[in-house]
Amino acid sequence: MAFEQVMPERLTRWITAAPDWDAVYRAELPRVYNFFRYRLGDVPDVEDLTARTFEKAWRARDRYRSDVAGFATWLLSIARNVATDHIRARRMHLPLELAEEVPARSITPEDAMVQGSDAERLGGLLATLPERDRELMALKYGAGMTNRAIARATGLSESNIGTILHRAVQTLRDRW
Amino acid sequence: MDESWLSAFKKKPPADWAESLRVQLQESDMPDVLPDISNRWPFRRLITTLAILVLAVGIFSVPALRASAVSFLALFRVVNFVAVPVDPGRLRALDDSHLNLERLIGDHVQVLADPGPPKSVASTNEAEAIAGFELKMPSWLPPDTKIIEVAVSGERAARVTADSKRLEEVLDTLGITDLRMPAGLDGKAVTFRVPPIVMVRFEGGGRNPRRTRFFQAPPPEVTMPAGVDSSVLGEIGLRVLGVPKDTARQFAAAIDWNTTLIVPIPPTAQSFRQIEIGGKPAIAISYQPPDESPTTMLLWSDGVRVFGIQSIQSYEQVVAMADSVR
Repeated sequence: MAFEQVMPERLTRWITAAPDWDAVYRAELPRVYNFFRYRLGDVPDVEDLTARTFEKAWRARDRYRSDVAGFATWLLSIARNVATDHIRARRMHLPLELAEEVPARSITPEDAMVQGSDAERLGGLLATLPERDRELMALKYGAGMTNRAIARATGLSESNIGTILHRAVQTLRDRW
Repeated sequence: MDESWLSAFKKKPPADWAESLRVQLQESDMPDVLPDISNRWPFRRLITTLAILVLAVGIFSVPALRASAVSFLALFRVVNFVAVPVDPGRLRALDDSHLNLERLIGDHVQVLADPGPPKSVASTNEAEAIAGFELKMPSWLPPDTKIIEVAVSGERAARVTADSKRLEEVLDTLGITDLRMPAGLDGKAVTFRVPPIVMVRFEGGGRNPRRTRFFQAPPPEVTMPAGVDSSVLGEIGLRVLGVPKDTARQFAAAIDWNTTLIVPIPPTAQSFRQIEIGGKPAIAISYQPPDESPTTMLLWSDGVRVFGIQSIQSYEQVVAMADSVR
Protein backbone atom coordinates (compact mmCIF):
# COMPACT_ATOMS: atom_id res chain seq x y z
CA MET A 1 0.00 0.00 0.00
CA ALA A 2 1.32 3.43 -0.88
CA PHE A 3 2.40 5.85 1.81
CA GLU A 4 -0.28 8.32 0.77
CA GLN A 5 -3.02 5.72 1.24
CA VAL A 6 -2.33 5.05 4.91
CA MET A 7 -1.61 8.58 6.12
CA PRO A 8 -4.25 11.23 6.78
CA GLU A 9 -4.32 13.50 3.76
CA ARG A 10 -3.46 16.66 5.64
CA LEU A 11 -0.46 15.07 7.33
CA THR A 12 0.70 13.58 4.06
CA ARG A 13 0.51 16.98 2.38
CA TRP A 14 2.51 18.53 5.18
CA ILE A 15 5.22 15.89 5.06
CA THR A 16 5.53 15.53 1.33
CA ALA A 17 4.75 19.04 0.14
CA ALA A 18 7.63 20.88 -1.41
CA PRO A 19 8.31 24.21 0.27
CA ASP A 20 7.40 27.41 -1.54
CA TRP A 21 11.00 28.20 -2.42
CA ASP A 22 10.48 31.87 -3.18
CA ALA A 23 8.83 32.39 0.21
CA VAL A 24 11.48 30.31 1.91
CA TYR A 25 14.21 32.30 0.24
CA ARG A 26 12.71 35.64 1.28
CA ALA A 27 12.27 34.49 4.87
CA GLU A 28 15.51 32.64 5.36
CA LEU A 29 18.05 34.73 3.47
CA PRO A 30 18.33 37.40 6.21
CA ARG A 31 18.65 34.70 8.89
CA VAL A 32 21.46 32.88 7.12
CA TYR A 33 23.15 36.13 6.13
CA ASN A 34 23.12 37.41 9.71
CA PHE A 35 24.21 34.04 11.06
CA PHE A 36 27.40 34.46 9.04
CA ARG A 37 27.78 38.10 10.15
CA TYR A 38 27.60 37.14 13.81
CA ARG A 39 29.75 34.06 13.22
CA LEU A 40 32.51 35.70 11.18
CA GLY A 41 32.09 39.45 11.46
CA ASP A 42 31.57 42.13 8.86
CA VAL A 43 33.73 40.45 6.23
CA PRO A 44 33.34 40.14 2.45
CA ASP A 45 33.02 36.35 2.73
CA VAL A 46 29.54 36.67 4.27
CA GLU A 47 27.78 37.05 0.93
CA ASP A 48 29.70 34.23 -0.67
CA LEU A 49 29.12 31.85 2.22
CA THR A 50 25.43 32.70 2.29
CA ALA A 51 25.22 32.00 -1.43
CA ARG A 52 27.09 28.73 -0.95
CA THR A 53 24.65 27.68 1.76
CA PHE A 54 21.63 28.30 -0.44
CA GLU A 55 23.28 26.58 -3.39
CA LYS A 56 23.88 23.49 -1.25
CA ALA A 57 20.35 23.59 0.10
CA TRP A 58 18.95 24.06 -3.39
CA ARG A 59 20.91 21.09 -4.69
CA ALA A 60 19.86 18.93 -1.76
CA ARG A 61 16.24 20.08 -1.53
CA ASP A 62 14.94 16.72 -2.70
CA ARG A 63 16.45 15.20 0.43
CA TYR A 64 14.76 17.70 2.76
CA ARG A 65 11.99 16.17 4.82
CA SER A 66 9.79 18.56 6.77
CA ASP A 67 8.95 15.83 9.27
CA VAL A 68 12.60 15.45 10.26
CA ALA A 69 13.59 19.06 10.82
CA GLY A 70 12.16 22.50 10.44
CA PHE A 71 13.36 24.14 7.30
CA ALA A 72 15.27 26.91 9.07
CA THR A 73 16.99 24.33 11.27
CA TRP A 74 17.96 22.28 8.21
CA LEU A 75 19.22 25.36 6.36
CA LEU A 76 21.22 26.58 9.34
CA SER A 77 22.79 23.17 9.82
CA ILE A 78 24.11 23.56 6.27
CA ALA A 79 25.27 27.10 7.12
CA ARG A 80 27.09 25.83 10.21
CA ASN A 81 28.97 23.29 8.10
CA VAL A 82 29.82 25.91 5.51
CA ALA A 83 31.13 28.21 8.26
CA THR A 84 33.17 25.44 9.83
CA ASP A 85 34.73 24.51 6.48
CA HIS A 86 35.48 28.15 5.82
CA ILE A 87 37.14 28.72 9.17
CA ARG A 88 39.17 25.54 8.78
CA ALA A 89 40.26 26.49 5.26
CA ARG A 90 41.14 30.00 6.40
CA ARG A 91 43.40 28.57 9.09
CA MET A 92 45.01 26.13 6.66
CA HIS A 93 45.70 28.80 4.06
CA LEU A 94 47.22 31.32 6.42
CA PRO A 95 50.86 31.73 5.38
CA LEU A 96 53.22 30.72 8.15
CA GLU A 97 55.15 33.97 8.03
CA LEU A 98 51.96 35.89 8.72
CA ALA A 99 51.00 33.79 11.70
CA GLU A 100 53.02 35.86 14.13
CA GLU A 101 51.22 39.00 13.05
CA VAL A 102 47.77 37.59 13.72
CA PRO A 103 46.46 38.55 17.12
CA ALA A 104 44.77 35.92 19.22
CA ARG A 105 41.62 38.03 19.00
CA SER A 106 40.84 40.14 15.96
CA ILE A 107 39.82 43.06 18.17
CA THR A 108 40.21 43.81 21.84
CA PRO A 109 37.33 44.85 24.07
CA GLU A 110 39.05 48.20 24.46
CA ASP A 111 39.09 48.65 20.69
CA ALA A 112 35.45 47.81 20.57
CA MET A 113 34.68 50.33 23.27
CA VAL A 114 36.14 53.20 21.32
CA GLN A 115 34.53 52.27 18.05
CA GLY A 116 31.63 54.35 16.85
CA SER A 117 28.31 52.57 16.32
CA ASP A 118 26.67 49.91 18.45
CA ALA A 119 26.92 47.54 15.50
CA GLU A 120 30.66 48.02 15.26
CA ARG A 121 31.05 47.67 19.00
CA LEU A 122 29.03 44.50 19.13
CA GLY A 123 30.80 43.10 16.06
CA GLY A 124 34.13 43.71 17.72
CA LEU A 125 33.03 42.18 21.00
CA LEU A 126 31.61 39.07 19.34
CA ALA A 127 35.06 38.44 17.90
CA THR A 128 36.43 38.14 21.41
CA LEU A 129 34.23 35.18 22.31
CA PRO A 130 35.41 31.57 22.15
CA GLU A 131 34.40 29.78 18.92
CA ARG A 132 31.65 27.67 20.48
CA ASP A 133 30.08 30.62 22.27
CA ARG A 134 30.25 32.73 19.16
CA GLU A 135 28.54 30.06 17.09
CA LEU A 136 25.71 29.82 19.62
CA MET A 137 25.42 33.62 19.67
CA ALA A 138 25.25 33.58 15.86
CA LEU A 139 22.46 31.00 15.91
CA LYS A 140 20.55 32.81 18.65
CA TYR A 141 20.95 36.48 17.79
CA GLY A 142 22.06 36.36 14.15
CA ALA A 143 19.69 33.68 12.89
CA GLY A 144 17.04 34.20 15.56
CA MET A 145 16.76 30.54 16.57
CA THR A 146 15.19 29.47 19.84
CA ASN A 147 17.26 27.60 22.43
CA ARG A 148 15.26 24.49 21.64
CA ALA A 149 16.00 24.72 17.91
CA ILE A 150 19.68 25.36 18.66
CA ALA A 151 19.68 22.29 20.88
CA ARG A 152 18.27 20.19 18.04
CA ALA A 153 20.82 21.58 15.62
CA THR A 154 23.89 21.26 17.82
CA GLY A 155 23.14 18.23 19.95
CA LEU A 156 23.74 20.21 23.15
CA SER A 157 21.07 20.21 25.83
CA GLU A 158 18.69 23.15 25.96
CA SER A 159 19.73 24.00 29.51
CA ASN A 160 23.39 23.86 28.56
CA ILE A 161 22.75 26.25 25.70
CA GLY A 162 20.88 28.58 28.03
CA THR A 163 23.82 28.61 30.42
CA ILE A 164 26.45 29.20 27.74
CA LEU A 165 24.44 31.98 26.13
CA HIS A 166 23.76 33.63 29.47
CA ARG A 167 27.48 33.70 30.28
CA ALA A 168 28.39 34.93 26.80
CA VAL A 169 25.86 37.75 26.99
CA GLN A 170 27.09 38.64 30.45
CA THR A 171 30.66 38.80 29.13
CA LEU A 172 29.61 41.08 26.30
CA ARG A 173 27.57 43.24 28.66
CA ASP A 174 30.55 43.64 30.98
CA ARG A 175 32.73 44.72 28.08
CA TRP A 176 30.12 46.95 26.40
CA MET B 1 16.29 41.80 30.64
CA ASP B 2 16.60 43.96 27.53
CA GLU B 3 18.47 42.11 24.81
CA SER B 4 17.72 44.45 21.92
CA TRP B 5 21.31 45.70 21.87
CA LEU B 6 22.36 42.16 20.89
CA SER B 7 20.62 42.66 17.56
CA ALA B 8 22.68 45.71 16.72
CA PHE B 9 24.99 43.78 14.43
CA LYS B 10 22.15 42.57 12.22
CA LYS B 11 22.00 43.95 8.72
CA LYS B 12 19.60 43.58 5.83
CA PRO B 13 21.17 41.67 2.94
CA PRO B 14 21.88 43.99 -0.02
CA ALA B 15 18.78 43.89 -2.23
CA ASP B 16 20.57 43.65 -5.58
CA TRP B 17 22.78 40.82 -4.38
CA ALA B 18 19.78 38.99 -2.87
CA GLU B 19 17.85 39.25 -6.14
CA SER B 20 20.85 38.15 -8.17
CA LEU B 21 21.30 35.08 -5.98
CA ARG B 22 17.59 34.26 -6.17
CA VAL B 23 17.68 34.35 -9.96
CA GLN B 24 20.85 32.29 -10.02
CA LEU B 25 19.28 29.60 -7.86
CA GLN B 26 16.09 29.61 -9.87
CA GLU B 27 17.93 29.24 -13.16
CA SER B 28 19.95 26.32 -11.90
CA ASP B 29 16.73 24.33 -11.90
CA MET B 30 15.48 24.42 -15.48
CA PRO B 31 13.61 21.31 -16.67
CA ASP B 32 15.67 18.65 -18.42
CA VAL B 33 13.97 19.15 -21.77
CA LEU B 34 15.28 22.70 -21.95
CA PRO B 35 18.86 23.25 -23.05
CA ASP B 36 19.95 24.58 -19.71
CA ILE B 37 23.42 25.83 -20.48
CA SER B 38 23.70 27.48 -17.09
CA ASN B 39 23.45 24.17 -15.29
CA ARG B 40 26.29 22.95 -13.16
CA TRP B 41 26.45 19.70 -15.05
CA PRO B 42 25.85 20.79 -18.62
CA PHE B 43 27.28 17.55 -20.05
CA ARG B 44 24.67 15.55 -18.28
CA ARG B 45 22.02 17.93 -19.50
CA LEU B 46 23.35 17.80 -23.03
CA ILE B 47 23.24 14.05 -23.09
CA THR B 48 19.86 14.13 -21.42
CA THR B 49 18.75 16.53 -24.12
CA LEU B 50 19.93 14.06 -26.74
CA ALA B 51 18.20 11.19 -25.01
CA ILE B 52 14.99 13.11 -24.46
CA LEU B 53 15.09 14.36 -28.02
CA VAL B 54 15.16 10.80 -29.25
CA LEU B 55 12.65 9.75 -26.64
CA ALA B 56 10.47 12.70 -27.42
CA VAL B 57 10.04 11.62 -30.99
CA GLY B 58 8.88 8.31 -29.59
CA ILE B 59 11.39 6.24 -31.47
CA PHE B 60 12.01 3.61 -28.86
CA SER B 61 9.97 1.21 -26.64
CA VAL B 62 10.36 -2.37 -25.10
CA PRO B 63 13.72 -3.23 -23.51
CA ALA B 64 14.88 -6.59 -24.84
CA LEU B 65 18.48 -6.38 -25.91
CA ARG B 66 20.68 -9.43 -25.44
CA ALA B 67 24.46 -9.41 -25.27
CA SER B 68 24.65 -11.74 -28.23
CA ALA B 69 22.97 -9.14 -30.36
CA VAL B 70 25.66 -6.54 -29.79
CA SER B 71 27.54 -7.54 -32.91
CA PHE B 72 24.51 -6.52 -34.94
CA LEU B 73 24.52 -3.09 -33.40
CA ALA B 74 26.14 0.13 -34.44
CA LEU B 75 28.04 2.00 -31.75
CA PHE B 76 27.98 5.77 -31.95
CA ARG B 77 30.43 7.87 -29.93
CA VAL B 78 29.99 11.60 -29.48
CA VAL B 79 33.22 13.39 -30.32
CA ASN B 80 31.85 16.43 -32.17
CA PHE B 81 29.38 19.10 -31.25
CA VAL B 82 27.27 21.15 -33.60
CA ALA B 83 25.26 24.12 -32.39
CA VAL B 84 21.70 24.57 -33.64
CA PRO B 85 19.51 27.52 -32.66
CA VAL B 86 16.17 26.23 -31.50
CA ASP B 87 12.65 27.57 -31.56
CA PRO B 88 11.61 28.28 -27.94
CA GLY B 89 7.95 27.84 -28.90
CA ARG B 90 8.68 24.32 -30.04
CA LEU B 91 10.48 23.52 -26.81
CA ARG B 92 7.50 24.82 -24.89
CA ALA B 93 5.24 22.63 -26.99
CA LEU B 94 7.42 19.64 -26.12
CA ASP B 95 6.99 20.51 -22.49
CA ASP B 96 3.27 21.05 -22.87
CA SER B 97 1.27 19.06 -20.39
CA HIS B 98 -1.31 17.85 -22.88
CA LEU B 99 1.48 16.02 -24.68
CA ASN B 100 2.64 14.59 -21.35
CA LEU B 101 5.96 13.30 -22.62
CA GLU B 102 6.85 11.77 -19.32
CA ARG B 103 3.83 9.52 -19.38
CA LEU B 104 4.22 8.90 -23.07
CA ILE B 105 7.75 7.59 -22.86
CA GLY B 106 7.92 6.56 -19.21
CA ASP B 107 6.79 3.00 -19.88
CA HIS B 108 9.40 2.52 -22.56
CA VAL B 109 12.57 3.41 -20.74
CA GLN B 110 14.62 0.98 -18.72
CA VAL B 111 17.17 2.68 -16.51
CA LEU B 112 20.24 0.45 -16.49
CA ALA B 113 22.44 2.63 -14.28
CA ASP B 114 21.48 5.60 -12.13
CA PRO B 115 24.21 6.78 -9.79
CA GLY B 116 22.15 9.53 -8.15
CA PRO B 117 23.37 13.10 -7.74
CA PRO B 118 27.06 14.02 -8.22
CA LYS B 119 29.25 13.49 -5.17
CA SER B 120 31.93 15.87 -3.94
CA VAL B 121 35.32 14.23 -3.39
CA ALA B 122 38.42 15.37 -1.54
CA SER B 123 40.88 15.54 -4.44
CA THR B 124 41.44 15.04 -8.14
CA ASN B 125 43.17 11.75 -7.30
CA GLU B 126 40.04 10.48 -5.60
CA ALA B 127 37.98 11.64 -8.58
CA GLU B 128 40.27 9.69 -10.92
CA ALA B 129 39.91 6.57 -8.79
CA ILE B 130 36.12 6.81 -8.78
CA ALA B 131 35.69 7.84 -12.41
CA GLY B 132 38.22 5.31 -13.69
CA PHE B 133 40.18 7.60 -15.97
CA GLU B 134 43.13 9.95 -15.68
CA LEU B 135 42.14 13.58 -15.44
CA LYS B 136 43.40 16.22 -17.80
CA MET B 137 43.68 19.67 -16.29
CA PRO B 138 44.29 23.22 -17.51
CA SER B 139 47.98 24.03 -17.21
CA TRP B 140 47.08 27.74 -17.22
CA LEU B 141 44.60 29.43 -14.91
CA PRO B 142 43.71 33.11 -14.46
CA PRO B 143 45.67 34.77 -11.62
CA ASP B 144 44.59 33.88 -8.04
CA THR B 145 42.43 31.03 -9.24
CA LYS B 146 42.33 27.83 -7.22
CA ILE B 147 40.37 24.59 -7.06
CA ILE B 148 37.52 24.76 -4.55
CA GLU B 149 35.56 21.64 -5.39
CA VAL B 150 35.95 18.33 -7.18
CA ALA B 151 32.90 16.18 -7.84
CA VAL B 152 32.07 13.01 -9.75
CA SER B 153 28.84 11.93 -11.37
CA GLY B 154 28.69 8.17 -11.88
CA GLU B 155 27.81 6.30 -15.05
CA ARG B 156 24.29 6.56 -16.36
CA ALA B 157 22.70 4.17 -18.82
CA ALA B 158 19.22 3.66 -20.18
CA ARG B 159 17.60 1.47 -22.79
CA VAL B 160 14.58 2.48 -24.84
CA THR B 161 12.66 0.87 -27.67
CA ALA B 162 11.14 2.19 -30.88
CA ASP B 163 7.41 2.67 -31.13
CA SER B 164 6.13 4.06 -34.42
CA LYS B 165 2.66 4.75 -33.04
CA ARG B 166 4.11 6.95 -30.30
CA LEU B 167 6.35 8.75 -32.76
CA GLU B 168 3.47 9.60 -35.01
CA GLU B 169 1.45 10.83 -32.05
CA VAL B 170 4.22 13.24 -31.12
CA LEU B 171 4.88 14.36 -34.70
CA ASP B 172 1.18 14.99 -35.26
CA THR B 173 1.00 17.00 -32.05
CA LEU B 174 3.86 19.18 -33.27
CA GLY B 175 2.29 19.54 -36.72
CA ILE B 176 5.03 17.57 -38.53
CA THR B 177 3.21 15.55 -41.17
CA ASP B 178 5.85 14.94 -43.82
CA LEU B 179 8.18 12.68 -41.80
CA ARG B 180 7.66 9.18 -40.52
CA MET B 181 9.85 6.72 -38.63
CA PRO B 182 12.21 4.66 -40.82
CA ALA B 183 10.76 1.27 -41.71
CA GLY B 184 12.01 -1.67 -39.66
CA LEU B 185 12.87 0.32 -36.54
CA ASP B 186 9.65 -0.34 -34.70
CA GLY B 187 10.29 -2.47 -31.61
CA LYS B 188 14.09 -2.19 -31.82
CA ALA B 189 16.07 -1.25 -28.73
CA VAL B 190 18.65 1.49 -28.30
CA THR B 191 21.03 1.93 -25.38
CA PHE B 192 22.43 5.21 -24.11
CA ARG B 193 25.51 5.19 -21.92
CA VAL B 194 26.97 8.31 -20.31
CA PRO B 195 30.30 7.43 -18.60
CA PRO B 196 31.32 9.02 -15.29
CA ILE B 197 31.77 12.80 -15.46
CA VAL B 198 34.28 14.71 -13.34
CA MET B 199 33.71 18.36 -12.49
CA VAL B 200 36.46 20.58 -11.11
CA ARG B 201 35.32 23.94 -9.81
CA PHE B 202 37.74 26.83 -9.73
CA GLU B 203 37.29 30.17 -8.06
CA GLY B 204 39.26 33.37 -8.05
CA GLY B 205 38.73 37.08 -7.68
CA GLY B 206 38.22 37.61 -3.93
CA ARG B 207 35.03 39.40 -2.97
CA ASN B 208 33.35 38.81 -6.31
CA PRO B 209 34.49 35.28 -7.05
CA ARG B 210 34.87 34.41 -10.72
CA ARG B 211 33.73 30.84 -10.95
CA THR B 212 34.72 28.30 -13.53
CA ARG B 213 33.50 24.74 -13.85
CA PHE B 214 35.55 22.31 -15.89
CA PHE B 215 33.94 19.04 -16.95
CA GLN B 216 35.43 15.97 -18.58
CA ALA B 217 34.25 12.48 -19.44
CA PRO B 218 34.86 9.70 -21.92
CA PRO B 219 32.58 10.13 -24.95
CA PRO B 220 28.94 9.18 -24.37
CA GLU B 221 27.78 6.20 -26.41
CA VAL B 222 24.58 5.36 -28.23
CA THR B 223 24.12 1.77 -29.39
CA MET B 224 21.56 1.38 -32.16
CA PRO B 225 20.41 -1.48 -34.39
CA ALA B 226 22.73 -1.73 -37.41
CA GLY B 227 21.36 -0.46 -40.72
CA VAL B 228 19.23 2.29 -39.25
CA ASP B 229 19.39 5.48 -41.29
CA SER B 230 20.51 7.83 -38.57
CA SER B 231 20.15 10.88 -40.80
CA VAL B 232 16.36 10.34 -40.92
CA LEU B 233 16.23 10.14 -37.16
CA GLY B 234 18.43 13.23 -36.97
CA GLU B 235 16.12 15.08 -39.32
CA ILE B 236 13.16 14.19 -37.13
CA GLY B 237 15.04 15.43 -34.08
CA LEU B 238 15.92 18.71 -35.77
CA ARG B 239 12.33 19.26 -36.85
CA VAL B 240 11.11 18.54 -33.34
CA LEU B 241 13.46 21.27 -32.13
CA GLY B 242 11.90 23.66 -34.62
CA VAL B 243 14.51 23.75 -37.38
CA PRO B 244 12.78 24.64 -40.69
CA LYS B 245 11.99 21.76 -43.05
CA ASP B 246 14.55 22.44 -45.82
CA THR B 247 17.32 23.39 -43.42
CA ALA B 248 16.73 20.25 -41.35
CA ARG B 249 16.91 18.05 -44.44
CA GLN B 250 20.16 19.62 -45.71
CA PHE B 251 21.70 19.61 -42.29
CA ALA B 252 20.71 16.01 -41.53
CA ALA B 253 22.25 14.81 -44.78
CA ALA B 254 25.51 16.67 -44.22
CA ILE B 255 26.22 15.77 -40.61
CA ASP B 256 27.99 12.62 -39.36
CA TRP B 257 25.39 11.45 -36.87
CA ASN B 258 27.63 8.62 -35.65
CA THR B 259 29.96 11.05 -33.91
CA THR B 260 28.06 14.29 -33.49
CA LEU B 261 25.88 15.64 -30.75
CA ILE B 262 23.50 18.45 -31.57
CA VAL B 263 23.66 21.22 -28.98
CA PRO B 264 20.40 23.19 -28.98
CA ILE B 265 21.14 26.88 -28.52
CA PRO B 266 18.35 28.70 -26.69
CA PRO B 267 17.26 32.19 -27.69
CA THR B 268 18.82 33.58 -24.50
CA ALA B 269 22.28 32.90 -25.89
CA GLN B 270 23.96 36.09 -27.09
CA SER B 271 26.19 34.35 -29.59
CA PHE B 272 27.72 31.04 -30.53
CA ARG B 273 30.58 30.19 -32.78
CA GLN B 274 32.61 27.27 -34.01
CA ILE B 275 36.22 27.61 -32.89
CA GLU B 276 39.22 25.32 -32.43
CA ILE B 277 40.63 24.12 -29.12
CA GLY B 278 43.94 22.26 -29.42
CA GLY B 279 43.31 21.88 -33.14
CA LYS B 280 39.93 20.22 -32.56
CA PRO B 281 36.53 21.73 -33.43
CA ALA B 282 34.74 23.30 -30.49
CA ILE B 283 31.60 25.29 -29.77
CA ALA B 284 31.72 28.54 -27.83
CA ILE B 285 28.42 29.85 -26.48
CA SER B 286 28.11 33.26 -24.84
CA TYR B 287 25.11 34.19 -22.78
CA GLN B 288 24.16 36.43 -19.89
CA PRO B 289 21.55 35.31 -17.40
CA PRO B 290 19.50 38.20 -15.94
CA ASP B 291 21.44 40.15 -13.29
CA GLU B 292 24.46 37.92 -13.70
CA SER B 293 27.84 38.17 -15.30
CA PRO B 294 28.39 37.29 -18.95
CA THR B 295 29.12 33.59 -19.16
CA THR B 296 31.02 31.51 -21.67
CA MET B 297 30.58 27.83 -22.30
CA LEU B 298 32.99 25.79 -24.40
CA LEU B 299 32.45 22.21 -25.58
CA TRP B 300 35.05 20.16 -27.38
CA SER B 301 36.62 16.73 -27.62
CA ASP B 302 40.12 15.44 -28.26
CA GLY B 303 38.67 12.18 -29.58
CA VAL B 304 39.35 10.34 -26.32
CA ARG B 305 37.68 12.65 -23.85
CA VAL B 306 34.85 15.18 -24.05
CA PHE B 307 35.43 18.50 -22.27
CA GLY B 308 33.34 21.45 -21.20
CA ILE B 309 34.14 24.72 -19.49
CA GLN B 310 31.53 27.08 -18.08
CA SER B 311 32.92 30.32 -16.71
CA ILE B 312 32.32 33.98 -16.01
CA GLN B 313 35.97 34.76 -16.73
CA SER B 314 36.55 36.73 -19.91
CA TYR B 315 36.06 34.86 -23.18
CA GLU B 316 39.79 35.08 -23.93
CA GLN B 317 40.68 33.62 -20.55
CA VAL B 318 38.20 30.77 -20.90
CA VAL B 319 39.63 29.87 -24.30
CA ALA B 320 43.17 30.10 -22.88
CA MET B 321 42.23 27.71 -20.06
CA ALA B 322 40.72 25.28 -22.57
CA ASP B 323 43.74 25.51 -24.85
CA SER B 324 46.03 24.64 -21.93
CA VAL B 325 44.23 21.39 -21.00
CA ARG B 326 46.80 18.58 -20.96
